[in-house]
This record gives sequence, structure tokens and C-alpha cells, in this order.
Amino acid sequence: MCKRKAPGSHINSRLLSETLLVVFALSFFLFLPPLWAQSPDLPPGPVRAKVVTACLECHESRIILQQRLSKATWAKEVDKMIKWGAVVDAADRDAFIDYLSTNFPPDKPPEPAVRSSSGQKSK
Amino acid sequence: MISRRDFLWRVSSAFAAAGAIHPWLTWAADDSTIVIPGEEGMIVRSARFLDLESPPEFFNSWITPVPHFFVRNHMHEPSALDPGQWRLTVGGEVDKPLTLSVADLAKLTPHTVTNTLECAGSGRGFYQPHVPGVQWQRGGVGTARFSGPSLHTLLQRAGLKSTSKHVLFQGLDEVPGKVPPFIRSIPIEKAMDSDTLIAMRMNGEPLTKHHGFPARVLVPGWVGAASVKWLSEIQVLDKEFDGNFMKPGYRMPNHPLKPGDPLNVDDSHGITSLNVKSVIATPIDGSTTKSRSIHIQGVAWAGEADIVKVEVSTDSGATWQPAQLGRDQAKYSWRLWSHVWKAPKPGDYTLMSRATDNQGRTQPATAEWNPSGYLYNAIDQVKINVQA
Repeated sequence: MCKRKAPGSHINSRLLSETLLVVFALSFFLFLPPLWAQSPDLPPGPVRAKVVTACLECHESRIILQQRLSKATWAKEVDKMIKWGAVVDAADRDAFIDYLSTNFPPDKPPEPAVRSSSGQKSK
Repeated sequence: MISRRDFLWRVSSAFAAAGAIHPWLTWAADDSTIVIPGEEGMIVRSARFLDLESPPEFFNSWITPVPHFFVRNHMHEPSALDPGQWRLTVGGEVDKPLTLSVADLAKLTPHTVTNTLECAGSGRGFYQPHVPGVQWQRGGVGTARFSGPSLHTLLQRAGLKSTSKHVLFQGLDEVPGKVPPFIRSIPIEKAMDSDTLIAMRMNGEPLTKHHGFPARVLVPGWVGAASVKWLSEIQVLDKEFDGNFMKPGYRMPNHPLKPGDPLNVDDSHGITSLNVKSVIATPIDGSTTKSRSIHIQGVAWAGEADIVKVEVSTDSGATWQPAQLGRDQAKYSWRLWSHVWKAPKPGDYTLMSRATDNQGRTQPATAEWNPSGYLYNAIDQVKINVQA
């Protein structure tokens, strides 16, 4: 004797199928890193992880990598960004400035530029 | 109930769609380029916020194609903008505040202005000592045909009060953290100029998202920051707006500063029109050639003024020869220029270009240093090697 399907089971089945479909498709996208996630790494240093958290919340690393600034100018930038919402513990402020001014000083050679591609083959 | 076949078909369709979109979201396989839809061969200064610079070799046409036109964003672009829901409001010191849709604007007589748009910070990367910000070199500039109703049509409909002095623009940029919103204002005289537009088209096509779809301001001849993108609000004010991007932002010192000195905001003025400037498009800086016959070419512009002369030096500035100006010209737009030079012998050469406008301004040997790196316009120069 065949078992009867419980009322509404086709709805559950459909819901499950469609949920699976969405999860399946979404997972494909979720594994794709966004553009800025594939940005060049910031150099190692004692506060690198904190700099990543505080700065890359809004910016891509490239905007930091291209700067060539004195320690005094880095201090102004860090203070401006804190005022504009960057989350930097007061105890870390000086370490941020040390990290940035040590890795991106005025005399460092410029950062190589990367080009965009529209993703379409030229006709 | 969804069938197994239907389910599999839907999954495969989802994958097909994902596969089609996938290349738009990732880096190219060789890792030397970043795929950004609609933006071909641009120098990526920042992928977030999106700042794209035109490489100088793109400056070989009077009109810059949109995929080659620089992109400058201070903040996130609007993540969702439905043109059907979008509205532009006009308020402040007016008799009849307005609310306009895309369709309303499309009914107004369009006006077209060919304009050279340049970011105020274009060339910032050349300043010494270095200053913070996007390190633009030659290519934070481009020329396009912008079309849309004149701003004065809207202001006349709204009815300006006698108290009106400045016109404020706010866009739909998504503001991160506690960053002040990007709001700018221009004097009423410039706002009432018939060439100041609510631009909806660029080179004959609707604006792309990166350039401010569905509507942006176009303040011709002025620094790009005046031409607010994703425009949503116009307010007529009885005085100049004094928010961050007007003060201390986008200001130049009233008196030249010693490089490294801070700006005294109380002894400064807001930036308006662009400087006189030329850049060398080709040869490329640092390039090597085997030909002794060298075609030196580039572009020159002067904001609200007209270029009258471009000179070229092939001996590090010791002597100058006139370049030939291109035939295409319009108020507010750059001129192409070119000069053919035969290198006397193999070796290293420094090529220079120097523009002069009809206000008597000539590019200086050194640009006026300022702590934000605005309005760089020093004589351009590239170094090349001519091989035997």
C-alpha cells in the first residue's frame, strides 16, 4: 500500500528545492571575492591586522600603497580618518602612524600601476 | 511541485548566469588587469572607492570615449538607484520648490556642451614633497559632450528670490562612517550661465553609473568636483555653502606656500576654473624608439579660457618650437596638438610641452605647491631614448 503524502508536502518539497537552488547559486557568488578583496596585501608589521580592519573597512589597500608621506603627514591622515569614523583604539594611534610612515615613506619608489579591462573581447 | 527536471534546469540556468557574470567580477587570468565593466585600459588608482585614470596615450582624440574617461569617486557609488523612483528636488531661496523625475527633465530642451573635465587633484602625484590623496598623474582629465537641460531653466521655473547667492548640489553618494557628505555649491552667476547643465547624456548616450546616472551637474571649465554626480538635490542659498568639501576642501592659498607648509583656511579661496595646462600623450615617458622621426602629440586646455599656443622643447627647455594645434575646438574644451621632430642623433632626450591661453597665462616650470595637491599644471615633460 502506497503511503499517502502528507498534506502540503509538495509545498515543503518545492520550498526545499528552491531554497537549495538559491543557496547553490549564492554559494557560487559567495566564493568569488569582490574586487577589493583581491587587492595587494599590506606589508607585515605589528599592527598590520588592525590597520587592515580599520582602513580596509572603507578603502582598498591600493590607496594606502600609493602614498609616500612624511611621518607628520601620516599623523594628520590617521587623525582625519579617526575623525571620519575609522575605528582605531587610542592606544594604537602612534603604532598606526609608525607602521604607515615606516612602510610608505616619501623616498620609497612608486607603486606599479594596474590597468582595468572591460571584460569584453575587442571586436 | 517543481519537477526534478525543472529543478536541474533552474540550477544549470543559475550556473550559466553566474558563469556569464563571473568574468565581470574577477581579475583577469594573467593578474595584470582588473575587470571593471565598461572601463577599458584605465589605470586603477583605487578599486574602492573607484578612481580610474586615463593613461596619456588615450589622449589622441578630441572626444574621449566613455570607457576611457577618468572616474573619480570620493565615496561609494549608489548601490541601488531606480531611475523610475529617482527625483531631483529644487528648493531653498526659491518661490516654488520643484520635484522632477527623469521624464520631467527629458521634456526640457537639452543643451550640449563639449567640456574638458579635470579632477582638481589631477597631477597630484607629481608634487614634491608628496601630498596625501589619490596619486593622479596626467590622466585625471577627459573631454566629452555633455547634454541636458540648462540649470537656469530649472532655477527660473522655481523662481529665484532676491536673496539667492549660491546654488548647492548634493548627490546620492553613499557616505561611509562619519565622513561628511559630498556637497558643493557654486555662485549664482555660474549657476545661471546657460552652459551649466543638469547633464543626462555623455557623448550621446545616457550617463553610465560611474559618471553619475541618471543626472549630474556639469559646471563647464571648472574643476570636476563642482560637477556633482548622482544629483538628487539642488538648494538655492543666501551664502556660500561651508561644508567640508567647500572648506577646508578644494581651497588654494591666497599667497604661495613654502612646500610643506599647512594651508591657512582663513587666507585661502575656493577653487573654481581650471588652470592653463598641457600634457604629452605620446611618446610615453621612459619609452625607447628606433625611429629618429618622432611624432610628439598631446592635449592642452585652460578651463574657461582658450588655448592660443602650445610650444614643444626637445632639449630640456633650452629652446621651444610651436606645436600645431588641432582643428577641433569649442569653448571649455581642450585642443589636440602635435609636433614632428627629427632627433639629431641617438641618445636620451627630455621632451617638454608648454601651453599659453588667451588670458596670458602660461604653464609654469613648477606648479604652486599646496598641501592637498590641487591644480598641478607645471610644464609637462617626458624622457625618451632614441636608439641607433
